[in-house]
Amino acid sequence: MLFYWPLGKILSIGFAGDWLTRITTHRIAATLWFTIWQAALSAAICLLFGIPGAYILYHRRFRGQKFIRSLITVPFMLPTIVVAIGFTAFKKLPLISSLFFGHTNTPIIICANVFMNYSLVVRIVGGVWTTLDSGIEDAAALDGAGRFRTLISVTLPQLAQSVASAGALIFLYCAANFGLVLVLGGAATRTIETEIYVATTQYLDLPKAAALVLIQTVLTIIAFLGAQRLSKGPVGFFASTSLEPKVRVDKRDAPAVFITTLFIGGLIILPLCAVLFKSFQTGSGFSMSNYANLGGYGARDVLSISVGQATINTLRNAIITTILSIGIGVVASYLLSRKRPERSSRFVQHGMDIFFQMPVGVSSVVLGFGYLISFNSGLFPLRSSWLVTPLAQSLLCIPLVIRMVYPAINAIDNELRESAQTESASPSQIWWLIEAPIIRGAILTATGYAAIIAIGEFGAANFLAYGDQGTLPTVLYQLISRPGAQNYGMAMASSALLIVVALLIVYSVQVFERKNTV
Amino acid sequence: MKLSRKILIGSSLVIIVALMLVTINLTGKKKHGDVVLVTHDSFVMSKELIADFDKTTGYTLKLLKAGDAGALTNRLILTKSAPIGDAVFGIDNTFAGVATSNGIIDGTLKPTDFGDVCFNYDKTWFTKKKFAFPSSISELVLPKYKGLTVIENPNTSSTGLSFLAATVDVFGSAKWENYWKALKKNQVKVDNGWEAAYYTDFSGSSGKGAYPIVLSYASSPADEVRADGQSQTASILDGCFRQTEYAGVLKNAKNPDGAAAVVKYLLSSKFQQSFPEAMYMYPIVAGTPIPAKWSQFTEVAPHTYGDKLDFNANRKSWLAKWSAIFE
Repeated sequence: MLFYWPLGKILSIGFAGDWLTRITTHRIAATLWFTIWQAALSAAICLLFGIPGAYILYHRRFRGQKFIRSLITVPFMLPTIVVAIGFTAFKKLPLISSLFFGHTNTPIIICANVFMNYSLVVRIVGGVWTTLDSGIEDAAALDGAGRFRTLISVTLPQLAQSVASAGALIFLYCAANFGLVLVLGGAATRTIETEIYVATTQYLDLPKAAALVLIQTVLTIIAFLGAQRLSKGPVGFFASTSLEPKVRVDKRDAPAVFITTLFIGGLIILPLCAVLFKSFQTGSGFSMSNYANLGGYGARDVLSISVGQATINTLRNAIITTILSIGIGVVASYLLSRKRPERSSRFVQHGMDIFFQMPVGVSSVVLGFGYLISFNSGLFPLRSSWLVTPLAQSLLCIPLVIRMVYPAINAIDNELRESAQTESASPSQIWWLIEAPIIRGAILTATGYAAIIAIGEFGAANFLAYGDQGTLPTVLYQLISRPGAQNYGMAMASSALLIVVALLIVYSVQVFERKNTV
Repeated sequence: MKLSRKILIGSSLVIIVALMLVTINLTGKKKHGDVVLVTHDSFVMSKELIADFDKTTGYTLKLLKAGDAGALTNRLILTKSAPIGDAVFGIDNTFAGVATSNGIIDGTLKPTDFGDVCFNYDKTWFTKKKFAFPSSISELVLPKYKGLTVIENPNTSSTGLSFLAATVDVFGSAKWENYWKALKKNQVKVDNGWEAAYYTDFSGSSGKGAYPIVLSYASSPADEVRADGQSQTASILDGCFRQTEYAGVLKNAKNPDGAAAVVKYLLSSKFQQSFPEAMYMYPIVAGTPIPAKWSQFTEVAPHTYGDKLDFNANRKSWLAKWSAIFE
């Protein structure tokens, strides 16, 4: 209801007019091509730097490793709009601005993409790397194979699947990086998503927007299916670390250490520091005034609500989104996991699987657009209620929750369940006493994911949350798109705060996990 | 097994029903005295004026910003069956046709203020470099002004669109594209919005940017008066476009009486007097006093171009042609 109706509405608008002529223009072809190649290039760069990173951070050990791992995870957790703001600061650093010539926005967009998604490669590939049997490597080494040869001929083939799945996942994220392109791209650099937004808000060309929605949906579904096919299980929040003691970093690891240090220093730490630095910079020297301004409405009253109020809205939305998506996601996973022997119901189950997974292929911009045109009036005048934003955001989270919880439920030993049944335990007892505790970990991870997505979600909120319902990302976007030293400083200050909070959360989770495993 | 499924289905039903109830309850709830004025992002109304409105009318005014003039108009059209507010301010003459033909206004749009979109130049910059500032828009394509001008994208900025219309009027439908090709060749910089162009890239304002010529308003120099009592900038009063802004009551407004009171207040002498200082626009009501600074540093353009053109019929083709040149 909440998903398929808006989608149907988009489709009906899209196919009503002369949609074919609208999407077969040169401009759209160029936009589509840019969307694809920037995503592919970003994924390739992530893999190039991520594999040595995975090696150093997961296959070797050294002092401060945990901290570095947390640090590289921070960009992935940050709201995209904060990353975009960070890179507007990064772009202005003296050395960087001369490096990128300042003529085109493409390099900075790709840098920002890589910044956000680098940790995905490290975590996915690293996670697999820790579980590899080091015996084969040792054997190869004994046979006189150099470390590099061992890597090429023994280790990499075993990692191939995780590398490919990380690549596909990053492609998927980069093809739908609406906020980044909107802020960093300017008018000349466009992806399908920004075109949907511009067609809707600037030209009111709904048929064109709907046609673009179709293209975007096909693109993301292909990328999603690719990622799905390549990866066996869902991607964990933090890669599991095996207890087997790892080898310390030694001299022969120098090339990998060098690449990783250079990369993390230049493209992870430097942008983060640029934001911290700029957050203290004002028109006249350095002070805390950017932080003090956060209570206000910006220069020339550009905001309808203060950053503080937007934070409250965001947290409220995030709580509702998390509860809804976990509630519905867990119920759906439970229903999906029930074994049905009859053929007809297996068909039903397959249908349900697709039914619940579909929203993954739909980007948040598409969803926001669909809600804007569908829930205006009639039975559900939802759009005028603040609930519309968390509802749209829950739809984005539910498939992810299912992807994490469903395999966990499936993995529960059936014998355990049956033996409980023979002990005449009721189904609800089985659920609460046996199943629920086992999948608690998966639910916790899913909760974390849902909350992070809800806090950072920008594409749908930009269509649906405005005025006094603005969220942190939409308010930050208003600040960064309305220049002036004060607004810019406020955007930097709030971004700096979010970065510090994110770092603290990730680090404490890692510390907590270590305590649990030891 | 059966029982647990019942619990599950039951609980999900409860969640859905509860959601519906909350939604209906929330959408129905709106304090009677609240009136929402939807505006463009550059709207400024002081706390004193808001308090004055609340006191004299008995309503409680809430402001809602919805993007630039174009985004504002389009959002109101997209949501016209359940409007996001009661009254609107900031639809300008480039979008008024779209607004009325889509039937989002109850009654008519009333003009509230106007401003002349003209080029400004940085006097200090031209004095330092010791060369003459341009005095007409045709001079901007001359080699000596290469790379000195920053304008706004007509696709995303009403200021940019205003200038585009002015060039269509000045150079005629046969030649205006040639003018733009020459401008592009002369390395004009195109920003997305007026604020980026004026506050970041223009050398004569707070951003101290690299471009001494900017597409702005004839009134902008009044805001750049320095310690010596002189304005750092001046306007080129050639090829200007007169932008008029409108206010109106939205169709299907929840509080039409409150909306009418807001529109009336925007035309009251108290609010009209605030236009120059707050929004750099001239009040529409004749005889409204103008700040002394304004009469000293700003002039109304003697002749304006393009404001009588039919935007509704031509916008798409103008923008497509412009985009073909620039993208």
